Amino acid sequence: MAKRTGKKTPVATAKEEKTPEYVKVKFDMPRTYDWSTGKYLGHFYAEAKENKKIVANRCPKCKELWLPPTPVCPKCKVDMGWDWVELPQTGTVYQYTYLVFPLWDPHYGERWANPYASAIIELDNGFYYRHFLEEQDKEKLKEGTRVKAVWKEDYSERGQGPGDILYFKEIGKE
Amino acid sequence: MPNRVAIVGIGQTHHTSKRPDVNQAEMVREAVLLSLADAQLGIKDIEAVFTANMETFEAIYLPDHGMAAEVGIFGKPGLKVGTGGTSGASVVAEGFHFVASGLFDVALVIGFEKQDCGDTTAAITAAATPIWGKGATTGAIGEFAKQALSYMKTSGAKEEHAAMVRLKADRNACRNPYAHLKLGLKGVEDVLKSPYLVWPLRFLDFCPQSCGACALILASEKRAKKITRKPVWIADMETVHQEVFRAGVFGDPTGKETYTQQAACERLYKRNGITKPRRDIDMAEVYEPSNWEEMNLYEHFHFCGKNEGWKLIEKGITEIEGEFPVNPSGGVIATNPIGGTPTIRVAEAALQIRGDGGERQATRDVKTALASALGGPNWTVLTLLKRSL
Repeated sequence: MAKRTGKKTPVATAKEEKTPEYVKVKFDMPRTYDWSTGKYLGHFYAEAKENKKIVANRCPKCKELWLPPTPVCPKCKVDMGWDWVELPQTGTVYQYTYLVFPLWDPHYGERWANPYASAIIELDNGFYYRHFLEEQDKEKLKEGTRVKAVWKEDYSERGQGPGDILYFKEIGKE
Repeated sequence: MPNRVAIVGIGQTHHTSKRPDVNQAEMVREAVLLSLADAQLGIKDIEAVFTANMETFEAIYLPDHGMAAEVGIFGKPGLKVGTGGTSGASVVAEGFHFVASGLFDVALVIGFEKQDCGDTTAAITAAATPIWGKGATTGAIGEFAKQALSYMKTSGAKEEHAAMVRLKADRNACRNPYAHLKLGLKGVEDVLKSPYLVWPLRFLDFCPQSCGACALILASEKRAKKITRKPVWIADMETVHQEVFRAGVFGDPTGKETYTQQAACERLYKRNGITKPRRDIDMAEVYEPSNWEEMNLYEHFHFCGKNEGWKLIEKGITEIEGEFPVNPSGGVIATNPIGGTPTIRVAEAALQIRGDGGERQATRDVKTALASALGGPNWTVLTLLKRSL
């Protein structure tokens, strides 16, 4: 608590008003932090890391697949139980876009590479999956391109969930 | 029966990209003082204060803790609302609900953002967890790029139509003393030559990062009539929430079709007997982060038929002088202090009803107006305002 100053008026510290200026705030993030996946997302992480599989869970009532997996169906509001479906790893580019402006990662303070392409991929069971494309040349990006998932081969580098898939690569293009 | 609630005081700061002359709290105070002056009230008349902004955008957690003096909440009840992009409308809902309940007779609601002290787009990408969804999204811009692509494909609209929406916004902003971007754009080519942010969205296709605040004073019916001769009644509000990772309606992965807008509209219109929105409502202030989205919103709010949004702009129907003005303020694409943006939509719609729009006042008489908000985990908040209930 501020002390009462009594009857005395505090002494003015500046003779004239100055225009305020910005103060530069430096951000360094040398530390890491832990994050819990939880039971359902944890299963997705484990399947990706151990078996290179993309899995989603299925609502017992409406049969809708959910990814990220969820303990409760947002639509039906029922307990999802433990019904998992493996998704195909091939699909078709449904829609793509590419990032042109530079973006900073607020979690790590790093600048992302740019430009880069990302897409909504319609997997072969009709499920929409959002990921990066290998193709970075915007002239060569095309809706309808047949693509497949390319995984990190080194086991020790996996364990990053969605990041265990490097990108989707055009099928037949070597 | 809940109490009737009116807007009796409106105050907003001027908007700009940099305000080194004030800190966040001092900037918010400017809007508070303007709203009190508008209502001819003192801060002692305010019973409760509700604030809204985008938490951590300016690297401050609980920014309201640092502005008790400036907003006049010291020793009074109130709380801060954070619902992402809709925060500034959710705070109006908060004040509306409390005054309607009879708990308070006069409440102050404030939306604000000082974006020169933070990186908004980076902060939005942090809405995804570090372990899921990060990277494949590009903040809000990537989402609206996908919607623009879908809109182009399904409606037949051309880039020129989006440019025409941008030109309308700029013309209107130039007539609004509080607007941020007043570019004096001459023609569609000025828009079409601006560089890409996230293809196909260009620099001029998307909203800016603004500093500013907007404050509204809400009062119960018995107080409102004593405070002002021109109360603007909050006839109704509707909020609909959706889950983050399912943008759009089920089956539309691009997010062009938005479940929350459909549901909010259906409920609000039904409760208020609105069957032909363009006949039953006189104007709208919509939350359009991009020019493409404005055309999409015309359709979602049933101002026109499916795939016809671009025809409204082509025919000049949504101009200030038009049959159904939309965003005479210049809209979000001209002025975007995020936490304040939806509050400004309500404020600008209320000014139109009062006839206090100045140079940006709609030519037609505005008795009923709609204000929309969009954002966060796919929330929609709609506010229906009327001159008389």
